[in-house]
Amino acid sequence: MARKVGIVGAAATPFRGKWYEKSYYELTQMATREALKDAAISVKDVDAVAYGIYNDIFERTCIPEHPLQGVIGMHNKPGIRVTNGGATGAYTMSAAHAYVAAERYNVVLVLGVEKATDCFDFTSMSATPEVIKVIGWSGDSFFEQKIGWTASDSYAEVVLAYMDEHPGDLKPEITAQISSQLSQQVKTNPYAQRQFDQVTPEEVMNSRYIVYPFKELEICVYGEGAAAVIVAEEETAKAISKNSGKPVVWITGVGEANEHSFAGKNQNHWGRIYSHHMAAQRAYQMAGIKNPLEEIDVVELHDAFIHQLEITMAEMGFVPLGRADTLIEEGIMTPGGKLSVNPCGGLLYCGHAVGASNIMSAWSCRNEILNKGYRRGLVHGTGSTICQYGAVLILEHE
Amino acid sequence: MTQGKEKVIPFEFIPDKEGRITTINGKDYLLMNDAFYTFFERTMGELSPFFLAIRDEKRMLGCKCTKCGIVRVPPFVTRCPDCNFAPTELVEVEQVGKMLSTPPITYFANALFLDKAPFGRGRVILNGADTALSVMLYTTTGILVPGIIKKDTEVKVIFRDKRVGEITDIYCVPTAELTPEQIAKKGLQESELNWEAPKEPEFPKASDEDIAVYKQSLKEMQALAAEMTRSKRARKAIEGWKRDIAVKTKGGEFAMYIDDGDFRIEEKKLESPDFVMACEDPRTLLDGLMYKGAITDSVIMKKLWISENMEFNTIFKLDRLARFLAREKKEQAAK
Repeated sequence: MARKVGIVGAAATPFRGKWYEKSYYELTQMATREALKDAAISVKDVDAVAYGIYNDIFERTCIPEHPLQGVIGMHNKPGIRVTNGGATGAYTMSAAHAYVAAERYNVVLVLGVEKATDCFDFTSMSATPEVIKVIGWSGDSFFEQKIGWTASDSYAEVVLAYMDEHPGDLKPEITAQISSQLSQQVKTNPYAQRQFDQVTPEEVMNSRYIVYPFKELEICVYGEGAAAVIVAEEETAKAISKNSGKPVVWITGVGEANEHSFAGKNQNHWGRIYSHHMAAQRAYQMAGIKNPLEEIDVVELHDAFIHQLEITMAEMGFVPLGRADTLIEEGIMTPGGKLSVNPCGGLLYCGHAVGASNIMSAWSCRNEILNKGYRRGLVHGTGSTICQYGAVLILEHE
Repeated sequence: MTQGKEKVIPFEFIPDKEGRITTINGKDYLLMNDAFYTFFERTMGELSPFFLAIRDEKRMLGCKCTKCGIVRVPPFVTRCPDCNFAPTELVEVEQVGKMLSTPPITYFANALFLDKAPFGRGRVILNGADTALSVMLYTTTGILVPGIIKKDTEVKVIFRDKRVGEITDIYCVPTAELTPEQIAKKGLQESELNWEAPKEPEFPKASDEDIAVYKQSLKEMQALAAEMTRSKRARKAIEGWKRDIAVKTKGGEFAMYIDDGDFRIEEKKLESPDFVMACEDPRTLLDGLMYKGAITDSVIMKKLWISENMEFNTIFKLDRLARFLAREKKEQAAK
């Protein structure tokens, strides 16, 4: 029987377009210090660390976590690094959960970081084309990298395939409204990269195409930052909670799935994001959730692209496939609706510091649960080509 | 549309070995130019026959499972993972197929693909295959816009004239743009296609009203340009960038200068601009600079013509310029 695992502390650094003042060493130390402070424990109380760092090239070293062991005071203790594309953070939390549930360790620090925008394209004198290029190295190296594979165009493939099947869904005015709503929600997140970038639906619709059908204000923004979550087994968690005065938020469900990366007969479920569907189903089964729309209050979803946010919500069972626009049309996720979706502003407005992003989402989800009296939250991560990876965690108030 | 890269890292991408200081809140921070490069002598292994068939014979190969009969293109396995790893055998497939879904179109490409954008990339099921091959997609009619290639659009594999043994040796175009002979021909090469050359649009003679609109738009654009040059955030959009652009409209012609943060507009005919923009109505450009509709989209929708596709890069910068100025104003208001 697996042990119960709960979150006892969490923190995030501000997410920024570029941190000129700090290397990734200090960003991780900042997040660690703040998470320990939040849990009111010392680093000496932590048994092991799980690092979530997506891309070696961003950090400009192939084992980016190795110096961090000393930087955060965890020398001579176990440390593993998880790298699973965009879903790195969610998978890192899943690994830490498994370690604690399996009685290997009692307290584990989950630490995510990314320093993405040090990459710089000297021909256009801007970071973004080089960041996209680096992520482009993640595409299939034999068949796709050299013909212009990018994260955007691979997710756009999935979205367009969905739109081929459901031509009336994902209407431009709805995706624009969701982006606009997230830009309002981010106002209360002082750690966000775009806290004061409120946009109207018209501005979203008027923004330029980056990759058809995605417009600039429908795409997450790459950035830099770190986030940390501390998880502990039941008795230790309760003791920490008693001391810190902060209730434990339990991780009651975890699920993951990685799809086929090729399409066609017997391969990827084209037009679906089956990885997100399977990950959610596995997490729901573990948490005993039968009707997610009725049983979940807050969702922190990896919104790489607004269109994908909508499809993912359908794949996770909140709305029917083909009717994802009802999220807005029926007021499900509008203010005062049944669900709060990405109260932190999502990766679109808080920023996408890849390895840290899902951990930041968990930090936000826990804050929402503790501060707004929610019972249950869902944290989601997506990554790799064509939304191939999916990971879902269910968080619950005790 | 040939690919003539001779070095694995193009020389122009390599920065000088130097650093710079950026000062934040009175403190200096160092930024160093750097690179993280590795060279490979890459094993193509079991994939070699597929790439060699493209390079040397202009043939498309797949692998057929000896048990379930599924034909995979590309042939990425020698044994079928669905049939307890039964062996597969290489088979030839046709060079015409249908799009599995509507393909995305990349307008904002990374540094390596600036000379290829805009391009589509999508999945085609070649006749005789069961799985999809990822391919680059072009139209011979100019800029690829949404609607030209959709789900089930029939496309044809085109072989580049110069082939090196990589997936870039091929791309696809819609068969609707080809003659029946071209569609039927095996190993059709890009030099056999009729590519529509970019042609500067000609505008009808301007009326007095057109000239008045031009004068007014120019005045407004000049005022905006001055505002952009004063804006710290907007300047960032064109930092390190230099272009002299000739802009032709129905009512008159002017020059746009981008120079490392400075943005200036003058009523002048440029003798040797870096590139030419042409739009019948100058308000198309004015709206873009006012952040009332993207200039990128005006190019895509053929309301604005540019003489060099490569200059999409500059168009993106102009869109960012408009957005950054609008964002700075909003942030100031919010604070």
